[in-house]
Amino acid sequence: MTHPEDNALWRRAQRILPTVVKPGRYVGGELNQTVKPWDSVRSHVALVFPDIYDLGQSNLGVAILYDLLNRREDIAAERAFSPWSDMEAALRENDIPLYSLENKRPLSDFDILGISLPYETLYTNFLNILDLAQIPLRSQGRTIDHPLIVAGGQSGFNPEPIAPFVDAVVIGEGEEVVLEIVDAHQTWADQGGDRAALLTRLAAIPGIYVPSLYCVTYHENGTVDTVAPTHPEASLPVNKRIAPVLPPPLTRFLVPNVEIVQERVSVEIMRGCTRGCRFCHAGMVNRPIRERPVDEILQALEHGLDQTGYEEVSLLSLSSSDYTHIIPLIEGLRQLLEDRQVNITLPSLRIESFTEDLMDVLQSLSPGGGFTLAPEAGTERLRNIINKPISNAELMETARSVLKHGWQSIKLYFMIGHPQETLEDVAAIAELCKAVLREGRQIAGGRARVHAGISTFIPKPHTPFQWVPFSDLDSIEQKLAILHEGLRGAKVKMTWNDPKASLLEAWLSRGDRRMAEVVYYAWQNGARFDAWGDQFDLAFWRTAFEQARLDPDFYSHRARALDETLPWDHINAGVRKDFLLRDYEFSLEGKVRADCRGQCYSCGILSTFSELRLLAPVGGWKCP
Amino acid sequence: MNNDATITRIRVQYTKGPSLRFTGHLDLQRLWERLLRRSGLPIRYSQGYNRRARLNLASALPLGFVSEAELLDFWMDQPLPLEAIKDRLSAAAPPGLAIQSVEAVDLQENALQVRMTASEYETTFFDPQDEKALEVKVEALLSQEKIIRTRRKKTYDLRSLILAMAVTDQEGEPALWMRLNADPGATGRPDEVLDELGYSVTDMLIQRTCIILSD
Repeated sequence: MTHPEDNALWRRAQRILPTVVKPGRYVGGELNQTVKPWDSVRSHVALVFPDIYDLGQSNLGVAILYDLLNRREDIAAERAFSPWSDMEAALRENDIPLYSLENKRPLSDFDILGISLPYETLYTNFLNILDLAQIPLRSQGRTIDHPLIVAGGQSGFNPEPIAPFVDAVVIGEGEEVVLEIVDAHQTWADQGGDRAALLTRLAAIPGIYVPSLYCVTYHENGTVDTVAPTHPEASLPVNKRIAPVLPPPLTRFLVPNVEIVQERVSVEIMRGCTRGCRFCHAGMVNRPIRERPVDEILQALEHGLDQTGYEEVSLLSLSSSDYTHIIPLIEGLRQLLEDRQVNITLPSLRIESFTEDLMDVLQSLSPGGGFTLAPEAGTERLRNIINKPISNAELMETARSVLKHGWQSIKLYFMIGHPQETLEDVAAIAELCKAVLREGRQIAGGRARVHAGISTFIPKPHTPFQWVPFSDLDSIEQKLAILHEGLRGAKVKMTWNDPKASLLEAWLSRGDRRMAEVVYYAWQNGARFDAWGDQFDLAFWRTAFEQARLDPDFYSHRARALDETLPWDHINAGVRKDFLLRDYEFSLEGKVRADCRGQCYSCGILSTFSELRLLAPVGGWKCP
Repeated sequence: MNNDATITRIRVQYTKGPSLRFTGHLDLQRLWERLLRRSGLPIRYSQGYNRRARLNLASALPLGFVSEAELLDFWMDQPLPLEAIKDRLSAAAPPGLAIQSVEAVDLQENALQVRMTASEYETTFFDPQDEKALEVKVEALLSQEKIIRTRRKKTYDLRSLILAMAVTDQEGEPALWMRLNADPGATGRPDEVLDELGYSVTDMLIQRTCIILSD
C-alpha cells in the first residue's frame, strides 16, 4: 500500500500547483472525503464532473453517488474535475495525467470512470478529460487495459452526440444502477473475457445503453431511418431507470477547503413534476412524482448541518409548492433552524399552488434575497400554448401577496422564442414586469425591485415541442430589442442568456450520432468550458460543422416531420411519443392539460413501470 | 442570554498541513467558522443581520505554505474546561488541521496581529541540495547591507526584515531556517528571501515553525 503523498505523480503535480490559479481545486483533502487505501478494495471508480471543482463539487448528484459507492467496502469512489486552462497547460507541459483527488492516481488506473453530464455544454470538457487522462477518446479504440467509460445525467436522454466516446450510458436515475455496473464489471473480471463481453454484460442491465451495440442508418435527406440493435442483449427501446421510492437523502457532505459556488446542505424533497409544461425537459423525463417524508428531510438537514457547519440549507425540487406536505415541512424547518445561524434558499414555487398559508410560513423563516416567479410567457394565450396556464390576475395576486409578506424584490423568469410566439407576446413581457413593479411601488414604496430573467426556448427531446425548430438568431435579437425598448427607463433590471449559447445547446441536445464528429472537431479546434460565457466561442463550432460536413441548421432550425424517426426515439424516458404528439397537437389548438395529479392523460409512465409501481406505497407516485 | 462576565477568549495553536497548503486566508477564516460551528462550543457571534463567529487569526500564511504553529483567538459566551474545548475542536477539525494547544487569554489583551513581532520558517527542497553551496549563498545574502526588492509595486529593503538565518539538517538533507520580522508595519516573506537565493516556489516547501509574540 502506498500513501498518496509518496506517489511520484503527486510529487510532480505538487511542483506545478504553486504556479496555477486557485490550486486548492486540485488537492482534495476535504472534511468528509473518503480515502481508502488503494489496494484494500476490489473496484476503483472515478466520478468525473467535467467542469472545474468549484462547480462540480457543488453538484448533488455526484455527491450522492460518491457516498453510495463508498458505502460498499469493496469499492473506492474518488473524484476528478476539469482543470482550468492554466492547470491544463501545466499538466500537459509536464506530461502529468489527470489524477483523482483522493489517492492521486491517474484516471487510467481506475476500473470505471463515471462521467456526470447534466447538460450538453460539458461534452468538449468530457473529451478533454479523457485526453488529459491519456485514455483513447473512442470506445472502439479502448482495450481491456482502459477504464470503462460510463456517462449519466439529464443529457443522457439523448446520448447520440456522445455515442462513440462512451462505452455505456445510464438512462435515468443512477442510485441503483451504479452498483449494478460495478457488480457486472467484477463478474466480468472474474470470468475473464474481452471488452465486448463486458459491454454486452452491461447492455443486459435495465437502463444501460451501450451505443456500440446499435446500428444507425439514415435516409438520403439526412434524417434517421433506423436504429437497430446488433446484439440480443441490446434492448429496444432502452427504458430509463427509476427508483420506485427515493432512497434516504445524502447527509455526508464534503466541506471544501476553498470556496465553491454552492456551499450548503441540499436535500431533494421531491423528484418529478406533474404540471406538464410543454417546454420542460426535466418535467417530462423525471416522472413519476416521488416525495420524501417530512421527517426524513428534516433529519437529513439537521445531520448535514451538524456534519458540515454550513450556514445555508436548500430544498431541491422542480416545484416545491407542489410538495404535498410543504407547510409542515417549512414549519419543521423553522424549528430546526431556530438558534442556528443558518440561512435558507427558497425553493422554486408555482404560482398556481401558491397560498396565503404558505406565504405566512415562508415569511416566518425570514429568508433573504428576492422571490422568484416564473410565468415563462407574457400573455395568457401563449401560456396556454406552453401549458402553463396562469392568468395575469393570478400572477398579480401572487406578486401582491409576496410583497405584502415583506419581500421587496421579485424575479420574473420568461422565455422568448416559444412556438407560435408573436411580437405582441414579447412586448407583453415588458408590460407585465412594469405592472408588477407598479404594484411593488404601491406596497413597498421605492425599495421595490423587479428583475426580469430572459432565456431562450430550446426545443428539447422527449418534450411535446421536440418537433419544432429553434428560433433563428435574428428573431431572438429582435425580441430582445423589443424587451429593451419596452423596459427602457422602467427601472426593471433585465438579464438574458446569450442566444448563441442557446443555439449550441439546441445543436447538441437535438443531434444524432453524426453530431459526435462535430463535438470532436470542436474540441480539437479548442472548444472548452462551453457553459462559460467568457470561454464559449461559436466559431469553434461553426468550423467543426464544416469539418464534419454537416449542416448546423439541419439540427437546430428544421421543423421535424411528425412521422420522422427522431435520433432519440430508441431511448424511452417513460413518456410515450404518441402522448407527446397529442400534447403537441393540443398546443397548436391552444388547449391546456391541467396538472395530471387530478386526471391521468396516459403519458406512459404507468404502462412502462407497472411492476415497479407495486413497490411504491399507495398513492406514492401521485398518479390517479 | 449571557452576560459579559462569562465571556471567554480562547487562543488556539494549530497546524496547517499539506492538504490545507492551498487554502488561503479568507478560506481559512471560513473553515474556522465552520469548524467552530461543528464543535458545538458556545461560540460568540457578531451582532447584526449576517452574524458571524468572532475570531481573529494571527497572521495570513501565504498560499502554498504549511505551518506547525498557527495562532487564532475566538470568543465564547460561557467558559468551559480547556481540555473539553480542545477535545471538541479536535473532533471538529478537518484533515490537515491539528489542535496543538488551547489556552484562555485575558479579554483586554491586544489583538494577535498587534502582538506579533516575528515568524520563523523552515524550508525543505524538493531536489537534492549541496549543503556547502547553500551556506555560501546564505552568507553572501546576509553580508549585504541592503537588499532592495519590489513587491506589488512597492520598494522595500528585505535585508532589514531578516532577523536570523541558517542552514540546518532535515533528515540528512540541508534545509533553510530563518526568522523574519513580522510586526504590523513590516512583514518579511520567506519566498522573497528564497527568490533572492535563486529558488522558485516550485522548488520547495516552506513551513512556518513559530510565531513570536511580544510580551
